[in-house]
Order: sequence, then C-alpha cells, then structure tokens
Amino acid sequence: MNNMWGSMAQYDAIYWPWPIAVYLFLAGLSAGSIMVSLIVKWNKHPDNTNSIWDAMVRAGAVIGPVAICVGLLLLIIDLGKPLSFYWLLITYNIKSVMSIGVLCLLLYTPFTFLFAMMIFEKEIEQYKALAVLRPLTKAIRSFAHIAKDIEYILFVLAICVGMYTGFLLGAIEKIPLWNTPILPILFLVSGFSSGIAANILIGMAFFKGSLNKESIKYLLVLDLRAIMFEIPLLIILFLGLYLGGSSEFATTALTDSLYGKVFWIGVVLVGLFVPIIIAATALKNHAYKPLFIVINSLVVLVGVVILRYYVVYAGQVL
Amino acid sequence: MKKYVMVHDENLCIGCQGCSVACRNENNVPDGVYRLQVHMKMSGTFPRLKTDFIRQSCVMCEESPCVTVCPTGASFKTDNGITLVDERLCVSCKYCLLACPYDARFVDPITKAIGKCTFCFQNRLSAGKEPACVTVCPTDALVFGDVNDENSEVSKLIAKKNVEYPKAHLNTKPSLGFIKNTKGGRYE
Repeated sequence: MNNMWGSMAQYDAIYWPWPIAVYLFLAGLSAGSIMVSLIVKWNKHPDNTNSIWDAMVRAGAVIGPVAICVGLLLLIIDLGKPLSFYWLLITYNIKSVMSIGVLCLLLYTPFTFLFAMMIFEKEIEQYKALAVLRPLTKAIRSFAHIAKDIEYILFVLAICVGMYTGFLLGAIEKIPLWNTPILPILFLVSGFSSGIAANILIGMAFFKGSLNKESIKYLLVLDLRAIMFEIPLLIILFLGLYLGGSSEFATTALTDSLYGKVFWIGVVLVGLFVPIIIAATALKNHAYKPLFIVINSLVVLVGVVILRYYVVYAGQVL
Repeated sequence: MKKYVMVHDENLCIGCQGCSVACRNENNVPDGVYRLQVHMKMSGTFPRLKTDFIRQSCVMCEESPCVTVCPTGASFKTDNGITLVDERLCVSCKYCLLACPYDARFVDPITKAIGKCTFCFQNRLSAGKEPACVTVCPTDALVFGDVNDENSEVSKLIAKKNVEYPKAHLNTKPSLGFIKNTKGGRYE
C-alpha cells in the first residue's frame, strides 16, 4: 500500500468471518431440529413409539443441544477477547439485538438439555456412563405434569433463536443484504428445513427403530414445503433490494464472479432445486429408498450452510 | 452542557497528514491501524484537475448506531456528545464495526478491543486542551469547540459557512462537519 495516508487494510477487513456463518447455520439447525422434534412428538400416535417418529424426536433432542453448544463455542472463539465473553452475560443493552440474542440463548440452551433429558430418561437409567445424570432426571420427573408446558416454552424459544440471527444481521443498516425484514423469516425457514434434514440423517443413522415409509415421507413433504417457501422469500429479498434503492448491490450480489456463483450454484441449485428434483422423481409414489433420502438430506444441509456463508460474506465483501 | 463539534475545511486542507501523525503520536495508535486518515481524491481530466482531501475518522454521531448495537454497553456516549469505548467491557464482537456507517472503527491489534477517534477525550480534552490533530494543523483547516457557546470559533464558523455533515440521510447527526472543497479545475 503506497497511499500517502497509509494502509487501508482496516476498511476492507472481513470482521465477521466463517465462524459466524457456521454459527448462524448451527443456531438455525438447533432451533429447526428442536422444532421438528417437537412437532413430530406432538403429532405422534401412542401406538407408534418404536417407529421412525420416535427416531426423529430423539435425533432432535440430540442435535438441539449439541449444535447450539458447538455454535456458541465458535461464537466465543471468534470474539477478539474470548476470555472477556462473560461481560455479555453480565451487562446488557436491551437495544442491541446481540444482547436480546444472548438472553434468548441463555434460556434456550438449558431448555434443550432439559428436553434431551426428558427424551432420554430411560437411557439415563439404563447406562452406567450416564449415571451422574440420574438425580437430575429424578428431579425432572417430579415436574412431569408440566412437561408439555416446557415443550411449548422450548418451541417458542426455538423460534426466537431461529429468528434472532436474522435480526442480528438486519440491525446493520450499512449492509443492504442484511438490512432487510425478510432475513429473520428466511433464516427461520431454512433453519427449519435443515432441522428436518439433520433429524432424518441422525434418526436413520442412530435411532433407526423400524423405518416407516409413510412417516418419512411426511417429513420429506414437510421439508419440500419449507424449501418451496424459501424460494419466494429469496425472490422477495432481492426484489426488495432492487426496489428499495440497492439495485446496484443486488446486481453485484447476483452476478459477482465468486459470490454470484456461490448463490446460483450453492444456494439455488444445490440447496433448492436438487431437493425438489429428488422429491419430484426418486421419492414419488411412495418409492422410499434410503439412499435418496440421505442424498436429499445432505444437499439440503449443504444448501443451508452455503446460504449462511453467502449472506455473511457477500454482505461484507461486496 | 458543552457539545463538542469539529469542522474540517477542505479548502484549507493541504493533505499534509500532520493531523494523522499527531493523532498516532498522542494516542499511541498501533502500527497498521488508524483513528484518523486524510484521503486524497483526484478528479477531472488533465489539465482541469481537482484534488479533494477527505477526513476519515469518527464523526461522533448523536444517534450512534455503534452505541445502539453494542451488547455490553462498552460503546457509550459522554454527556458532551463524544462516543467512547470502554476497553474493559469490550468483548470485541465487532458488531459496532459493522454497524458504523463511517468505517471509523478498528480492532486494536494489541489490546484486541475496538479503537476509534476520541477527540483526544482522556488525554487532552479533559485537561482543557484541543485534540492533537486540531493543534498541529498548519493551515487551521480544523476548527474545534463548543457549539453551544455562541462565541466559540466553531459556532462562528458554522454560522458563516455552509457546513455539510456526512451521510446526513442516515440521520445519525454527526458532530464532525465539512466545508466542501470549491477549489481546483473542475467543480462537481
């Protein structure tokens, strides 16, 4: 840099790098998994306990707490002063979306663990390795009569966590791609869709039970609906940019040599069209094949990661 | 209550970077980062050229987006309208860096906290002295003072000249104003 005024590096640094993109994905995934798990649990028939339904509920109960904890760890590591992170828990600025997010997460995270312990109560009784948790499950058991209320609270908190990430970026007026009211709902829907995909994958891998064609089809249809809902949201996002005075930015974001490709190939093709094509062809007429379901879930997850990556980076770079 | 305002007269500025050097010296700004820069922008076609000198630093918004988004309250405003960072409370989440429409903040490579122009609040202003950049400016292009005091130099200047505030449409109400350059071969 040869400017007479010195280095310009501080003006174009990427201040929120990949850990933030991955966190946004994991927070959405955690919230989505919990929501799917709860929806399935509420819709489950009592005579169906050992089926894929059960596997979905269990998968959500595992993914929920694990994903959010890994995400929060990334978030803390990414701080310039990771060891000072406790200030976020002590001091609050209620006008800051980040502070509101901390409050949501502070409630949400313990509730995901509570939910996991409710779901895995039997396993905790059964396995020696989990013996430390036994007193806790006993305590939880005594509150069994409000279990349903806890699930409702958890569901609402999951929606908060799934959406706040969108508001977090939305508060940055400087960045047109972030400063849109569509982002929270887009993140919630794509998080929900990633939750379905992850629950199917983990459910199939670890909690198989008896795989039920009907029920997995129900989930895939649910996922397809979420994806179908994402398409108009993306269109509204860019339409809003065009009409809202950021048409130049929108054009760059869609045609940039790197980020344009990331969007069209990663977000649209991999994340939206491939799952639709799989759903429309391979899984048509109840033709349930595990391989296609796995592929379908994987592309959905990859698409959602890329969407977060795209929003975080294209917003800052372009 | 005092309200500090700075005006940068771009007609008087010669781009000598004296202010920037004084700032670094006064505030021990680490290498590679800047609280203050004066960018040079040339426009027009030869021989009708014009060079503008544009100050790049915190504009001390009255409605500061950086203060609003800060989750710990580390970014705060003093009573007389100066935006500061409490390094102890700052966790360096960089939310304020993204929120600042004026790109006036940076990560201090040594403390990892967020750094910015302070109008030399701790080291000079509280001792009744003007900011370092103002005192060294050889052409008096920088004028600093209390805008609530009618007799201050800065109040008189604002009354007399057309002072523009950067990105006024954002409604952040900056306290750093500019008198636009009208010199050079081409007016825009």
